[in-house]
Amino acid sequence: MNGSHAEIFDDVAVYALGTLPEAEAIRMREHLETCEECRDEYEALAATVTAVARSAESCTDATNGAVYASPLLKARIMREVRAQSATKTAPATSAPKVRSLVWPAYAISAACLVIALGFGAVNLSLTNRLHHLEATQQEAATTRTVDDATVADLLNERAKRYIVPGGEVVRSNNHVYIAMDDMPQPPAGKVYQAWTQPKGSKVMVPGATFVPDRHGVAILPISSNASLLHAIAVSIEPPGGSKAPTTSPVVLELLE
Amino acid sequence: MTQDAGQLMERVRARDADAFEALYDAHHRVVYGLAARMLGDALAAEDVTQAVFLKIWTAPELFHGGNFAAWIVRLTRNRSLDVLRVRKSHGEAELPETLPEEEAVEDTAFANIDADNVRKALATLPPEQREPIELGFFGGITHDEIARRSGIPLGTVKTRIRMGLKKLRSALGTMVTV
Ligand SMILES: [Zn+2]
Repeated sequence: MNGSHAEIFDDVAVYALGTLPEAEAIRMREHLETCEECRDEYEALAATVTAVARSAESCTDATNGAVYASPLLKARIMREVRAQSATKTAPATSAPKVRSLVWPAYAISAACLVIALGFGAVNLSLTNRLHHLEATQQEAATTRTVDDATVADLLNERAKRYIVPGGEVVRSNNHVYIAMDDMPQPPAGKVYQAWTQPKGSKVMVPGATFVPDRHGVAILPISSNASLLHAIAVSIEPPGGSKAPTTSPVVLELLE
Repeated sequence: MTQDAGQLMERVRARDADAFEALYDAHHRVVYGLAARMLGDALAAEDVTQAVFLKIWTAPELFHGGNFAAWIVRLTRNRSLDVLRVRKSHGEAELPETLPEEEAVEDTAFANIDADNVRKALATLPPEQREPIELGFFGGITHDEIARRSGIPLGTVKTRIRMGLKKLRSALGTMVTV
């Protein structure tokens, strides 16, 4: 026998929830094969446990900075699936880039965050990451933080995306951003600096300095009037930045 | 009403990418949200979401009918537990069982329930029932560990989880129309 029914019946709910230690779960599975009463109890609770999972469901869009899966993630998955599909539908040529682009932890709504914080230590890394991102933004010598409008711009499916080493330059609603997701740390004692070149000018105008976070993520608003820009660039500079680039650019993108 | 997940899975077995996309659209929010909640990390949640959906695409025969949402939730929780397992590889609390992926949940009672309704129903539980349910399910820890952390006897933890799940079931039952 695999243990008494009375003893095991007590564990059916915690088994349905997925919190039995593995060894006891094996014993439970064996018992469920033979015991209708436990089986009924289990069936009744399994669908309820699925409902518990749904309470964590992410939101449909990024307004309020909600927990939100990036459309780029879908594009990445669908690209792989379409390549192996029977119908061989041509992938949309305007599909966003397929390299991993992380839309990071700013995607947490106040409501969802409150729920997450209810767990205490379990979700600490979530808040750490959020704070880290905020810190990175402040480090970026800009008073602007990653606000809802920025998130909406970055996720805009109609945005024009220029793939650059380590990420992309995004032009959305006439705003321009540097959105890096895989940028190496600058050499020790150095920072990155953004530059813009206005149309009709030969001069690179100095912009903010920044460093990516430990995941290689950096989001930097560059301009709110893309139509005035000819090019944007990023170079490695000393802390505090330079008046003119002192190294050759690691990113250089023509916007016209 | 969108096409039934079981029918869509039939088409996925026939390598129909449009059917797969419909499943993704309908279910990615619970997958991503659950992984994000369990892992506390948007980066890792994206990885889990990708792994779960590519598994559905490459091994659709693993779905044995019944409640599709229940199945995809199990895939997601198990993948997320894998990630937690790697993180905890330097010896810590024992991780719980993985939920059986090969077994169908026949009961589709709450298959289409709205997430806000679930949150409302969860909020009706007394905290001493809701907390161990959420900690166990999302925290990925065993009921022994819940008991140890909270200083509550193991038997009491089990009882509260059972009472809580039953109360939740009846609260949800009142929300499902027809
Ligand atoms: Zn039994």
